[in-house]
Amino acid sequence: MADEFGQELIALLPNLRRFAISLCKSRDIADDLVQATCEKALANRGSYQPGTRMDAWLFRIMRNAWIDRTRRQRTEGVQTDIDDAHFLIGQDGAAATEARLVLNETARAIAALPDEQREVLLLVSVEALSYKEAATVLDVPIGTVMSRLARARKKIMDEVGIEGPAERSGDKKGIAK
Amino acid sequence: MTQERFSDETLMAFADGELPPEEREAVERALENDPALGERVAAFLDSRMRAQDALKPLLDEPVPEALAARVSGMIGEQSNVTAFRQRQAGAPARRWALPLAASVALVAGALGGYLAGISGPDTESGLRMADLSQPGIVTALNSVASGAETGLAAGERFRAIASYRDADNTLCREFEVDHADGSTVVAVACLPDGTWELQFTVVAQQNSSGYAPASSLEALDAYLSAVGAGAPMSAEEEEAALRSTD
Repeated sequence: MADEFGQELIALLPNLRRFAISLCKSRDIADDLVQATCEKALANRGSYQPGTRMDAWLFRIMRNAWIDRTRRQRTEGVQTDIDDAHFLIGQDGAAATEARLVLNETARAIAALPDEQREVLLLVSVEALSYKEAATVLDVPIGTVMSRLARARKKIMDEVGIEGPAERSGDKKGIAK
Repeated sequence: MTQERFSDETLMAFADGELPPEEREAVERALENDPALGERVAAFLDSRMRAQDALKPLLDEPVPEALAARVSGMIGEQSNVTAFRQRQAGAPARRWALPLAASVALVAGALGGYLAGISGPDTESGLRMADLSQPGIVTALNSVASGAETGLAAGERFRAIASYRDADNTLCREFEVDHADGSTVVAVACLPDGTWELQFTVVAQQNSSGYAPASSLEALDAYLSAVGAGAPMSAEEEEAALRSTD
């Protein structure tokens, strides 16, 4: 019987998997990483402080596990097979409606971000962690979170043609408004 | 112009609701007569929405069954063996596991059902045994769920660790008592015929020079395997078992 902790862990699996996919750029490796994260979380559940965000705590465990793994792989000379910029796009091959194309455009822009910008975008803009929570997960100062996040979002704006500053107003990149 | 007064980070933080009140008010004032500023803020809001929308399908992807099953399995396994597993791993995962020092002072009792006969704290040797005649202990054994704790008289704490059935299907409970002097007693009591009997106690003293909870509890693990203790009960099984003791 799963206790409350276990139930919450199960409920967060989709979120963990999403973060894992964005870290590993591969669904297979992501599933291994999610499993390793759950193992570590269960073994260290006493270090989780009730009342704080469990997802943030899990993301931190996951990211550290991922860093350990990539560090080891580098020394072993193993390369991860990276499926260029498509790893964030669902595999359901859904009809290419216009809305879906726009979504994919954003997903591609996110996929193309440097890793350290993508992870902070995911934690703050998508998972709605506060800057402070994200700083804890990533082990960087809040200022670093903010500058990476701002750069990531500027790139998305550029890629999908969101009108930002007034001087860009004539420069629409395929966004139907 | 006004645009230059606010950095991207500031406007982004404004859009994300992360700006401290003073700065937020400054941005709000500037927004009143600077449409370009409004567009920059809107672009940050928009980029957040787009990122959320774009990655929503990933969240909606079904978790692969094999993964979900493995995680459920790990959780199920742990909720059965939480207390013992964590100790064997030596993980300082639970607050109470930390201060148990390597000084296993005494292993008393054994299979024969030794009990309430022990009289009060053995102060002569500096050891304090768990004692079922201590006020409140029997009540606590009958009612406190594993993982929970309760106060006893005189500033002592009772903590239920796990319940299980031994080889004879007798209900047994592992518990700990913190004494005011900082020592902790780990004990096992069983309920063969309606009366709790102390089966095992070990004193683990707090020790400021490091800790080794796993080794200090080897005696307990050896005891539990010797009596053929079953896997610790789930919360539901334990609740049912304790209810039937009333």
